[in-house]
Amino acid sequence: GYLTDVSVSARPTADIISTVEFNHSGELLATGDKGGRVVIFQQETENKSQSQWRSEYNVYSTFQSHEPEFDYLKSLEIEEKINKIRWLPQKNAAQFLLSTNDKTIKLWKISERDKRPEGYNLKEEDGRYRDAATITTLRVPVFRPMDLMVEASPRRVFANAHTYHINSISVNSDNETYLSADDLRINLWHLEITDRSFNIVDIKPANMEELTEVITAAEFHPHQCNTFVYSSSKGTIRLCDMRASALCDKHSKLFEEPEDPSNRSFFSEIISSISDVKFSHNGRYMMTRDYLSVKIWDLNMENRPVETYQVHEYLRSKLCSLYENDCIFDKFECCWNGNDSVVMTGSYNNFFRMLDRSQRRDVTLEASRESCKPRQVLKPRRVCAGGKRKKDEISVDSLDFNKKILHTAWHPQENIIAVATTNNLYIFQEKVN
Amino acid sequence: MDVEAKRIMALSISKLYSLRTQRGGLCLHRSLLLSMTMRAARDIYHTAQLLRDAEEEQVVPCAPDAAIEEPMEISKDSPQTLTPKEVAMKHQEPKETVEDDKENQCASERHSRKRRSKTAIEPDFLPLKKAKMDTDEEKQHLQGEVLRTNNGNSCRQAETLTAFPTNRAVVAC
Repeated sequence: GYLTDVSVSARPTADIISTVEFNHSGELLATGDKGGRVVIFQQETENKSQSQWRSEYNVYSTFQSHEPEFDYLKSLEIEEKINKIRWLPQKNAAQFLLSTNDKTIKLWKISERDKRPEGYNLKEEDGRYRDAATITTLRVPVFRPMDLMVEASPRRVFANAHTYHINSISVNSDNETYLSADDLRINLWHLEITDRSFNIVDIKPANMEELTEVITAAEFHPHQCNTFVYSSSKGTIRLCDMRASALCDKHSKLFEEPEDPSNRSFFSEIISSISDVKFSHNGRYMMTRDYLSVKIWDLNMENRPVETYQVHEYLRSKLCSLYENDCIFDKFECCWNGNDSVVMTGSYNNFFRMLDRSQRRDVTLEASRESCKPRQVLKPRRVCAGGKRKKDEISVDSLDFNKKILHTAWHPQENIIAVATTNNLYIFQEKVN
Repeated sequence: MDVEAKRIMALSISKLYSLRTQRGGLCLHRSLLLSMTMRAARDIYHTAQLLRDAEEEQVVPCAPDAAIEEPMEISKDSPQTLTPKEVAMKHQEPKETVEDDKENQCASERHSRKRRSKTAIEPDFLPLKKAKMDTDEEKQHLQGEVLRTNNGNSCRQAETLTAFPTNRAVVAC
């Protein structure tokens, strides 16, 4: 069924959202923004035992992850924008996440404090010291409940390992290491060690003038700790095995679909650049997003994807205008649902697309205040590519290209999705009949 | 088609320029994509120019400069992937073939352009400023001589040296 029912969570600060990620249980949802802030929402479920239950995500913690920095050597400002957040699997009461800007990755510990010690002998409750002469009895301090306080503290800072802009981080299934990727290199880190990292991919040519492609995204396999993939601006994906050699410049597999010559244009190069790559939860497939389409690849078949979905094919004739207004460079992400049967990605005009692989169905929905009232079913949208516009259809020329949905996330277990428009986060839940 | 190509070429160049002033430093990915698009557009535009000039040559025989310059450009062009640096330099050439006559006429203007580029290259802190200016003038005189005798060929080469620094946009990282 379609995802319906709405609970809109407006974020406390109106800054452009740059990343959205559920944690492994789906209880927490983290967002990063252009101002370097991280806002974490927590799921609160009403009437869970009943068939019609509703989840709400409320603000759980807000903290400043990154600040703007200045590289004096290169006279460059380093943006504080959070490019990616990735959660670590939970090991104890605290939650851990990695957040990164262009240059520095940080490990944050988010912990709850719901009790505090009371009844000190030498101190008053407000902290003032008591006069020792007035103490006639001794007591043992005890913990008493207090209002929940959520604290975020930086536990590790992984800096100075990237010359170029970091575009991806990915935690390994071994829960000890993670990778970070920039335009030309991929580094492997140990979560405990901040003063060194291992370079595992380097595609920088000896002469920069010979540069023809850059790394656009990278991810570890969900189960095989030795396997990772990285995508390129040329539309290729390379799968690497870290057991093969220390430097994984030679791929184990190269996934590439030959270009359709009938679609060749000035902008073929740009629209074939892959903006996101994601493994399926079961680890047998991976999904890539380029400007106009989503492709599903079987890891055992390198020469073409097993499925291709057009996200907004009506834009193919508008590529020149989209080049002019820079929209052609927008990097859309994509995500899988928990059982890998549906994939989702964003588009323009606050539209997002859900592509049902098993039922071979797709739907376009809109995330906007006007079209989303709480507890209301979302109405499918249709775009009229040309010719006669039917009722309820929107023509391509009336699409608002400033309203883009680049970041979406799907709850790992339930049919709850998070969709980020420019400033707002929308959370939709499937209506169970 | 070549009008479109020229427009995309110009658009790409202005976007490459504006990349350099963006907060957060140069975006390598975008500058690469822009360079490639510019290169594709340039190739189309260049081919169209060649065809047009070949036609013109048949129609108007007394344009020897255009005829001479074109083969030079072809030999410099390699069919393999051009680097962004080469693309940047090559970009200047199609413009110049069109304005070739203008170049020969506006010799004084070219002098003044060269002088600006010369001082841009040489540092300000040289103590013998007067001597430096004299040297400049000497060089200009020599170049002027060269201009007159070589029909602007060497002039055009010097012009490419002042090509806008798009190549630095990629190389600097």
